[in-house]
Amino acid sequence: MAAARFYDGLTSQPWPIDVVLAGDVLVFEAEGVTRRWPLGGLTIDAAGGVVRLSRSGDDERLLIDGAVWRAFAGAQGRAAEKRSRFGEWKLVAGLAVAGVLLTLLVFVGVPAVSGPLARMTPPAFERRIGENFEAQLSVGLKPCGGREGQAALAAFGRRLGRAAQTPFDIRVRAVEAPITNAFALPGGAVMVTDDLIGLTQTPDELAAVIAHETAHVEKRHVMQAVWRSLGLGLVLDAVVGGGSGAGQQAVLLAGSFTDLRFSRQAEAQADSRGMELLQAQGLSSKGMAPFFERLAAKGEGAEARAVKELISSHPDTIARARVSRLHARPGASAFSPREWAAIKAACATPRSTGGSLRWIPAS
Amino acid sequence: MSVTETTPLARGETLKLEQREMTKGFLGLSLKNGLLNIITLTLYRFWGKTEVRRRVWRATYLNDEPFEYTGRGGELFKGFLFALLIVGLPFLLVVFAAQMMGPMLGALIILPLYIFMFFLVGFGMFTAFRYMASRTTWRGIRFRLEGSAVDYGLRFIACAVISGLTLGWFWPTARRKLAKRIWMNLRFGGDLPFRFDEAACRKEKVYGAFTLAWVGSFVAYVLIAGVAVVMGLATKDAAPSEEASLGMIAIIYLLMLILMPFLLLLYAPYQAAILRSVAAGIVLGDARFKLNVRWLELFWLTLTNILLIVVTLGFLTPYVEARTARFLVDRISSEGQADLVSVRQAERGPRTGEGLADAFGLAPI
Repeated sequence: MAAARFYDGLTSQPWPIDVVLAGDVLVFEAEGVTRRWPLGGLTIDAAGGVVRLSRSGDDERLLIDGAVWRAFAGAQGRAAEKRSRFGEWKLVAGLAVAGVLLTLLVFVGVPAVSGPLARMTPPAFERRIGENFEAQLSVGLKPCGGREGQAALAAFGRRLGRAAQTPFDIRVRAVEAPITNAFALPGGAVMVTDDLIGLTQTPDELAAVIAHETAHVEKRHVMQAVWRSLGLGLVLDAVVGGGSGAGQQAVLLAGSFTDLRFSRQAEAQADSRGMELLQAQGLSSKGMAPFFERLAAKGEGAEARAVKELISSHPDTIARARVSRLHARPGASAFSPREWAAIKAACATPRSTGGSLRWIPAS
Repeated sequence: MSVTETTPLARGETLKLEQREMTKGFLGLSLKNGLLNIITLTLYRFWGKTEVRRRVWRATYLNDEPFEYTGRGGELFKGFLFALLIVGLPFLLVVFAAQMMGPMLGALIILPLYIFMFFLVGFGMFTAFRYMASRTTWRGIRFRLEGSAVDYGLRFIACAVISGLTLGWFWPTARRKLAKRIWMNLRFGGDLPFRFDEAACRKEKVYGAFTLAWVGSFVAYVLIAGVAVVMGLATKDAAPSEEASLGMIAIIYLLMLILMPFLLLLYAPYQAAILRSVAAGIVLGDARFKLNVRWLELFWLTLTNILLIVVTLGFLTPYVEARTARFLVDRISSEGQADLVSVRQAERGPRTGEGLADAFGLAPI
């Protein structure tokens, strides 16, 4: 027999009672009624000083001094405590499985769906997204001032656009930015940064980069990246909570940041399709390989940080250079010497391509 | 009831809150919750939070009787899923849709959305309190928060707007008013309501401490901005390079880092005063409360809490919550009596927790 305190869950009146353990059933009398609580179905809240017993979904409470309870219930009490702990392991296992499924959704499901979704997206819709992206980007990325150079780039873009099977006009533009990169926006805008123009040594190289981005547009990779960012935003919201706005941030980031990431497969596809586009125009496709090699070499050099940006989203640079060299064909130059000079001079303050360390916004 | 009504003091008790056997198990719990959160991609957090509350509640004693937290992780999880479906998803879609439109149209859509978000913050806070009250029992009797979460959300927006217009000077008043909405609606069981005594609340002055904080932080910001401008001018002539701007950014962050404890120190007297002021307004039966928080110890608690969380990347959050609860409970005292023996049970509270569950009149029946 052990002394305990009982609350009937109807009022806050405490009832001092005596409890007896009959087999594995607690028996006690309170308010003139004999109550029988089987140990098996009890929630046992043991916190050192006091042990609180309750039945699930019920407001009645039985409180016993901790030391008294352990001496009184002994092994049966401990077995009952263990049973309630077992439920937690099942929960954790279930949640871990859910976590794995979410991971699969992020890395397999969303990318798998984004491709078909992008190809089904109406061009008018993509154009509208692109316009909005451009409006947002124009705050940070100012077009370079050189009219003649810009005109040469634009003309080249139109030429590639006609060759490509795309409903979009390819609009190429040189912009000032503290990163070495070229990127395509939804709807056909292609931006080439002043730093990247500085890094190219021949017209072939720049033409190859632009053809590569044009292929991204043609294959709807850009739209695919947009859908993927929405999907990731949804999953992110589901994991860390909508209130934190993390998912919304992911969506906003995709819109405001220039570097929509593509899969390795998409990059390889853009490489080969870009070269096809050049070859179809009778242009040289020999610029791609040397440019990739220079990127790879730079990666180990002083400009490592500036180039890391480009390489990380364009992996296996050396392997890609090798493939490109294999398929490269000679041909005409995309730009006349005069056009090339104008492009090189298009950006008012050409940034050095030398060894300066620059600050790169985190992606 | 007639017996107790005629002799209310005969069955009254003086309230004595204390914490026992606290904080020692919380380092282990912190580690466990942290690891399980990693394994389950943070999905475990609802159950982790529940376990933290269970332990804090049951280590808190009122008149030798421990509190009990009866909430369940699954309830929080369901509430979260519900909020995700009803608020998170539409929000995301609207933000995404705004991306498709022109910047002007997008701003027209997003702006009201962000104002609505302020409402949701207040609304969510109230429903969270309601859930927690309904899952807190003592002597087998539940607490209950009456009142309207929509009303609280609207008041929250109004408070935020007026505070903004007054450059923050309304906020101390707002905090008292908002605290009143919570406490005046709280009851223990079916028939023991809390009251909020505004006169007693106002007797604990807060505006002196707030003036110190406001003026002090204003001066600090001006100083920082001044330093930044001076340095900007100095480097501008030398070399307009990117290294320099990188250096500038680093220095501004460094200054902010130095400024953070300083701002905490400036605001500590105000935060302590607000805590004392709200506690002084709370009345239960004839019992009144006093929260004896001094500003220097509150500063130290806050600073060490932030450091513990930052250094351990959030792992020690449960421990931090436990020591904060201990800090507060250790400083509460009460005078006067309340009849805690003949309180009747309250109705059951909301079925899911804290996930804006009552949103848009969709409260579960």
